[in-house]
Amino acid sequence: MIQLFRLFKKFGDHTALHDVSMHVAKGEFVFITGPSGAGKTTLLRLIHGSEKPSSGNILVDSINLSRISRVRLDLLRQKIGYVFQDFKLLPNRTVSENVSIALEIMGAPDSVIQSKTRQVLEFVGLKKKAHLLPLVLSGGEQQRVAIARAMVKDPLILLADEPTGNLDSDLTTRIMEMFKEIHQRGATVVVATHSRELLENNDFRTIVLNQGII
Amino acid sequence: MVATGGRFYSMEQTLKHIRKNRFVYGVAVGATMGSLVILGSFFLLFGNLNAWIKSWGHTFSMTVYLQDDISDFKRDKVDSFIRGLPGAEISKYISKKQAMADLKSALGPESVLLDRLSRNPLPASYEIIFEGEGEDFEKNIREIRGNLEKLDGVEEVQFNHEWLKRLDPLIRNMSLAGIFVGIILCLGVLFILTNTIKLVIYARKEEIEIQKLVGASDWFVKKPFVFEGAAIGAAGGVGALLILLSGYLIFAAKKINFLGLITLDFVFLPAEYILFLLFIGVALGVAGSLIAVARFIST
Repeated sequence: MIQLFRLFKKFGDHTALHDVSMHVAKGEFVFITGPSGAGKTTLLRLIHGSEKPSSGNILVDSINLSRISRVRLDLLRQKIGYVFQDFKLLPNRTVSENVSIALEIMGAPDSVIQSKTRQVLEFVGLKKKAHLLPLVLSGGEQQRVAIARAMVKDPLILLADEPTGNLDSDLTTRIMEMFKEIHQRGATVVVATHSRELLENNDFRTIVLNQGII
Repeated sequence: MVATGGRFYSMEQTLKHIRKNRFVYGVAVGATMGSLVILGSFFLLFGNLNAWIKSWGHTFSMTVYLQDDISDFKRDKVDSFIRGLPGAEISKYISKKQAMADLKSALGPESVLLDRLSRNPLPASYEIIFEGEGEDFEKNIREIRGNLEKLDGVEEVQFNHEWLKRLDPLIRNMSLAGIFVGIILCLGVLFILTNTIKLVIYARKEEIEIQKLVGASDWFVKKPFVFEGAAIGAAGGVGALLILLSGYLIFAAKKINFLGLITLDFVFLPAEYILFLLFIGVALGVAGSLIAVARFIST
């Protein structure tokens, strides 16, 4: 599902990723770990098409991101759920609107948007807070809104960047259960984390990234 | 509570954004309205000028000036000659006295100058109207003119059509100036609208970036702005038409007496001009939005 070939990413003089090659199979659950600044976020952003590699190739769902058009990239992103480290919620939209926008972008019918948004908010335990704006929610709740937005469209691939950072262990366990649920539905899941607890408690393949090198 | 979303998503967003940015949009609507009022005024002017010229074009009118010392007998002969012409109608006979009165009324306060004249220099005249069109008709009229000029007691025969034709270059130049001013105004409106939408886009920069990250197509991002541009253009167009209509009702909804000789009906913009003005407003709004969003997305 995801293949990286001899990937380099430079920001000025700094090399964020150095000759990275890896493969994530369809339906696989993978952790990418490493210390802060190891290049985990950059790797996820490259897979998502939000960054372009300095050299090398990225294939996502058999599409080469180096040669992808804007339109195809938009369509590909509609199949990818991304839980951003900083959540990236729309501050002026309610929790419900933040979730439903993922389906609106895909052009889903009103009835589907309403029922799926309701279901997913129930799943993440935020049904009662659907009408609130994200800023009045706690960090953990905002995290769950971001997860709900990523999973509402039943993504082929779920990318999550430090999804449990700054959360207590109960909430971490709950969020991991959500990811496993998405994984069981058939999605390929890639979680970037530096949490030892998360890695030790979950028996999935782990890719270690250090100073941009696997 | 769940978002409505779906088909009406862009419309909802448009209404929300307009409510939120009332002041900025108010300025944009005002600027559009002002420019369209100027443009509409040109339309009014040219529309009426064209209508007048067209109506005169179908009606050949001729003025037969009589000699000052014409006897009643000769005048009766001229009168019967004109009445005997096929398709001709004497619209009025203007005596020397009446000609002077008309001129005085047209000159208004300046007419005191005429009081110093020792004698009335204005000739008596007949205004004749011929209905018809085409080359044969014009040829026939020219023959009639020749015959009239040969009549005893006739000083001069003047085709009113001729001075109308002399107006043609002036009207053509005015039309060109109107088109030029119209284009400049449209570019001005486009500039204002593009920058207004840009201001709103920058205020929603983060939102657009997030939408793109979640997979929104360019059109999904553009749609609410396009609706907003169209709404600004339409509101500006409707406002401009209301202002023009008010101006028309206050100042021009009466007959204009042209030098005391011709009465002109001043009419409001015809339906096609109204639609065109609205279309320009909406088109400029949409174009302004598309330019602003395209520039933002490409960066």
